[in-house]
Amino acid sequence: MNTKKILRTDLQQLVFLGIVVAIKIILSQFSFGPVMVKVGLGFIGSVLLGYLFGPLWGTIGGGISDLISSALFGDQGGFFIGFTLTAMAGPFIYALFLYNKPVKIWRIIASTILVTVIVNIGMNTLWLHIMYGINFNAALIQRLPKEMIVPWIQMVISYFVLQAVSRVKIKK
Amino acid sequence: MSKIIVGRYIPGDSLIYKMDPRSKLLVTILFILAIFLANNSITYAIVTIFCFLAVIATGLNAKVFWDGVKPLIGLIFFTSLLQLFFMTGGHIYWHWWIFSLSSYGLINAIYIFIRFTLIILISTVMTVTTMPLEIADAMEWLLKPLKLFKVPVDKIALVISIALRFVPTLFDETLKIMNAQRSRGADFNDGGLIQRAKAITPILVPLFIHSLETAIDLSTAMESRGYRSSEGRTRYRVLSWSKYDLIALIYFVLLVGLLLIFRTH
Repeated sequence: MNTKKILRTDLQQLVFLGIVVAIKIILSQFSFGPVMVKVGLGFIGSVLLGYLFGPLWGTIGGGISDLISSALFGDQGGFFIGFTLTAMAGPFIYALFLYNKPVKIWRIIASTILVTVIVNIGMNTLWLHIMYGINFNAALIQRLPKEMIVPWIQMVISYFVLQAVSRVKIKK
Repeated sequence: MSKIIVGRYIPGDSLIYKMDPRSKLLVTILFILAIFLANNSITYAIVTIFCFLAVIATGLNAKVFWDGVKPLIGLIFFTSLLQLFFMTGGHIYWHWWIFSLSSYGLINAIYIFIRFTLIILISTVMTVTTMPLEIADAMEWLLKPLKLFKVPVDKIALVISIALRFVPTLFDETLKIMNAQRSRGADFNDGGLIQRAKAITPILVPLFIHSLETAIDLSTAMESRGYRSSEGRTRYRVLSWSKYDLIALIYFVLLVGLLLIFRTH
């Protein structure tokens, strides 16, 4: 789906960006799965931001979503600019693979793996290392098991969501 | 539900409530950076005292802050424990395979535990004493220097206020959609992986369509009220500095000064 066809003016795009950011914030409050591997739904928001708004505004939207959710709910683990960068990097990578492109399985797999490796494993561990002064390897060992399981779940969800969203055509 | 509308804000009228949200946000961010300066027991004691000063100055019940730390307490303990066994150096008390318990590791684990707790506490002070709308205004003010790099700060401010305004509305909407789908048999908590992934689309697509419609309606309404672009507009909600913000400044300067004096160089 091309939102440009539905939303004709810049203002409509901006307002829609604001609302999708709100959706991302709400989704990140939901999670499912057993306690050990809780899958948060916030990544769906990142996928949507990248898919609908492209690298520039998707990235900005990701940053805004982090700022607002920390204003509303308080950042879990403290306010730190690094996590805002993390929230920006996710939609950026998704945008590179998905923006204005047909929904393909390989695109979803590649983007999810890149986001997991660069953002969740790389950047977030680095921030924890910087912020709390913890040992990088120990932080990695703590995070790795989850990051090996969750991406596959994310891919399946992303595929169904993008399939559904790309079919949306609004009639007014 | 009401919890999500007001965020974590708890009304009060102590000293910290009278400060400008901008100074609170700045001090919070800088406090977290200042913790990096702490590297020995004296400096850790100083940041801890300063953090508790801020907590006491809110005049709020200790339970509020415990609620901030509680969801993360397991993670904090686990991280500290891992650190305990991975750091080596100093006197070694116990050793097995790759794990060892050393004096160095012990001290480090305690430091990390303190850091974690302090960062969460100071962030809690910020979010509990400031209304989300005020925090958003403060963030907008902080973003202003980015104009120099041609970042569309005014547009970003518009997106921030729209998103902030729609979080409670869309949250209500999401719950309604979930209940509507449940009433005709949808199940969001059972089934295998693929079934659960599929169960998310019946929530997301209606939410998405509703959002598209809202975006069109809202932008039409804005344009018919004379909205052209984010530039060349006046501000109705204005933040103003007061003498209480001087306290925030003194607090921060004192903290950093003491840390710089007492840290091991």
